[in-house]
Amino acid sequence: MAQAAVMGSLSAALTIVSVVVPFAGGLSLLVAVPMGLLAYRYRLRVLLASAFAASTVAFLIAGISGFMVVLNCAYVGGVTGIIKRRGRGTPTVIAVSAVAGFLNGVWIVAALMVLVRLRTLTFDAMTANVDGLVTAMSQFEPLRQSAQDARALFGTALQYWPVLIMGYSIFTIMVVSVVGWWALSRVLERLRGIPDVHKLEIPGESGPVAPVPARLREVRFRYPGAARDALQPLSLTVEPGQHVAITGANGSGKTTLMLLLCGRQPTSGSIERPGAVGLGQVDGTAVVMQHPESQVLGSRVADDVVWGLPPGTRTDVGGLLGEVGLAGMEERETGGLSGGELQRLAVASALARRPSMLIADEITSMVDQQGREALLGVLSGLTQRHRMALVHITHYDNEARTADRAVNLSESRDNMVMVSHATPPTASTHPAPRSSAPVLELSGVGYEYASRTPWAKTALRDVSFTVNEGEGVLIHGGNGSGKSTLAWIMAGLTSPTSGSCLVGGRPADDRVGDVAIAFQAARLQLLRSRVDLEVASAAGFSPQDTGRVIAALSTVGLDASLAGRRIDQLSGGQMRRVVIAGLLARWPQALILDEPLAGLDAASQHGLLRLLTDLRLNNGLTVIVISHDFAGLEELCPRTLHLDRGLLASAPAEAGEMP
Amino acid sequence: MSAARQRRPVVLLRPVPGTSVIHELWAGTKLITVFVISLLLAFYPGWFAIGLMAALVVLVIRLAHIPRGVLPSVPRWLWILLLLGAVTATLGGGEPVLHLWAVDLEIGGLLKFLRFTLLSIVLLGLGALVSWTTNVADVAPAVVTLGRPLRPLRIPVDDWAVALALSLRAFPMLLDEFRLLYASRRLRPRPVLPDGRARRRRWATELVDLLAAGITVALRRADEMGDAITARGGTGQISAAPSRPKRADWVALSILAALSALAIVVEVRGLL
Repeated sequence: MAQAAVMGSLSAALTIVSVVVPFAGGLSLLVAVPMGLLAYRYRLRVLLASAFAASTVAFLIAGISGFMVVLNCAYVGGVTGIIKRRGRGTPTVIAVSAVAGFLNGVWIVAALMVLVRLRTLTFDAMTANVDGLVTAMSQFEPLRQSAQDARALFGTALQYWPVLIMGYSIFTIMVVSVVGWWALSRVLERLRGIPDVHKLEIPGESGPVAPVPARLREVRFRYPGAARDALQPLSLTVEPGQHVAITGANGSGKTTLMLLLCGRQPTSGSIERPGAVGLGQVDGTAVVMQHPESQVLGSRVADDVVWGLPPGTRTDVGGLLGEVGLAGMEERETGGLSGGELQRLAVASALARRPSMLIADEITSMVDQQGREALLGVLSGLTQRHRMALVHITHYDNEARTADRAVNLSESRDNMVMVSHATPPTASTHPAPRSSAPVLELSGVGYEYASRTPWAKTALRDVSFTVNEGEGVLIHGGNGSGKSTLAWIMAGLTSPTSGSCLVGGRPADDRVGDVAIAFQAARLQLLRSRVDLEVASAAGFSPQDTGRVIAALSTVGLDASLAGRRIDQLSGGQMRRVVIAGLLARWPQALILDEPLAGLDAASQHGLLRLLTDLRLNNGLTVIVISHDFAGLEELCPRTLHLDRGLLASAPAEAGEMP
Repeated sequence: MSAARQRRPVVLLRPVPGTSVIHELWAGTKLITVFVISLLLAFYPGWFAIGLMAALVVLVIRLAHIPRGVLPSVPRWLWILLLLGAVTATLGGGEPVLHLWAVDLEIGGLLKFLRFTLLSIVLLGLGALVSWTTNVADVAPAVVTLGRPLRPLRIPVDDWAVALALSLRAFPMLLDEFRLLYASRRLRPRPVLPDGRARRRRWATELVDLLAAGITVALRRADEMGDAITARGGTGQISAAPSRPKRADWVALSILAALSALAIVVEVRGLL
């Protein structure tokens, strides 16, 4: 279902881009690909649901034309996807698409037969235009004959319109099918080997719901086809009303433990429960996961709290929101909430099911400091206010303190990940040469979203500062402070609505690429399929130039053996390093990093910071970090700028450094 | 400075701030209205019907307090294209003839061109009105209510509505991700390629790469949302508030019915 919705959304988005943006009409050919993927992987009804959703969204935005494009592409995508699933080849596609084009043509001709007046009007308007053009051309003697011929041809063509439309329909459907088929095959090839991260599944169980007390005895888990155990033998009891914290580094089996508690069968050992797990059911087990945006399913806060409850259930929405500190926000749209607010909303939605066990799986890792504290405040009181067990999975040891009991999974194995291989800091011994050359000069920069429309919203106001070569600057601000907008302006991706941003004396938006930027979502910045291709493409040299690829990788502390690795097999920390490798290989004037530490575990965070500090101090790289966190950044970024609701307030300690 | 020259962007899926009679209407009413009017104009695209509906659109725009700023800037080439169309259509001539001082101007072609253009504008305006005045959260519940009669036909309306609600939820997130994809492409140097063939092949790989990246991101998002749905024990309710027409909606629908009937009668009988 979610696949249908998101793919539908993707198709709609592609359609809208193709309809709204001029000259991007070719994109609409590609809308067929996500639809084809759905038809390939799932049943027809999923495709239908997705087509319905996509066409409605497209209609809401782009009107009838968007609607028609989506329907056409769903038709073509569905046909190609089904052919792909049956394992047939290109000849089948051509044959089937000819038939499909014929059917489509019959349908259009029939519709136009019925809509006599609309047809007459359209043809009349076209005739008028052609006649006018012919009249104009006939003024010039040499063109007269061909103009008359053209008019005659057009007249004949109109007479035989059903034939023309039929031909046109068959032609376009065939072209779109073949292009769609080609793209779908290539994309499927690319997607093969991406691990299926689909984790939770509804356990096949019956009987009364009663997940606690859960007794785990020597439980061990190994994913099918894996060489190592994801979870090493563990014994644990979760009693009603107990607050248990599970800590450990990435790869120690925290998430696997969550899956087991949610009803997956262990490879060996036993889990005893008095009744069924009841995932998401009243008195059952509720789970809140890591990514704030994907947790929240409703478009409005109140809708999200009740989302998925059986029809007719009465819920005290106001009370639940009050408990998580979101009182009075029922009518707010979820799109405008911060990460911390979204997670608290997810907790409220979990509580709406009055669960006997709540599992919080790394819910604070993508949330800023304030949001983290608020979330922990909500969690710590839960077991007192409700009759339920709380299992809190986290990689922050300090978050485990409020728990009745803490279990550290890393202790059970000799964990190499936690050990840092990096050399000790060299900061104080090699101070970077402070040259006076300014790299970035911002003066009076302001930015307003959607200006001159009713939705106008000011993101930045009168921001001025200078970044010198070799400096390390932290731009710190909470949610909605405009720090990401500022990063985009500095990278030249957005033009400021007022003021100027100069890179080496010239406007930043003329020199895209001079200032490198690493986004928070590293995966989106990795466009190629393999590491070496990616680095070469980002840096602008040939992928055959192995030496430079390896050199680039070694700059960021990655082994040369990774060069042939596929992007989707990298860990989060490796992805971020590959992005930085590609960016640095172009010798940018400065490197901007947007939330470089988000979503990484402590060891990867530490390693990345070490690397960046080293690059800045020893290679003179100018580093600008955009973050909502200070922790651990002092050495990398000695200078801090605070951004608050679009205004710059320099930190008291660094006031002297401001020009 | 540059603000005056800046083009107004297209804002998607966000209602105009504030409230009005039109904002308060049930989303289903608006969907029905758009559907009925589109159907009506498809069958009877005469001057009277188009004019009547255009007047209705203008009236609703006034009622909903929609400022001029909602319209995205129209690119210049579109204006030129329209002007070109108008000029050629005028040259096409035809009945009726307009006597302007000493000149006889045949404006039949122009009139047809205008009628067709106006028809397109009315249809576009109708769709735009819905998105300017409706909160996206209200659309899916309205679809559930509207689709109730289809349920006996074994059409899974509820599933469709859930899919619709989720895609509306996912849409802004995907747009953001596309923006990032586009930005990271812009950050890269353009490869210098010798001949057209290599360029074309490059273009094809680029396309597949972008598409694969986009789909991977969408799939990942879908997996996470799927997990969230499973964690909530499957699908069920999608909205906290009931979604059904109120009195104002019946009034609006009656007005719509009356206007449509009037338009059909006039068009069929050939009055005017």
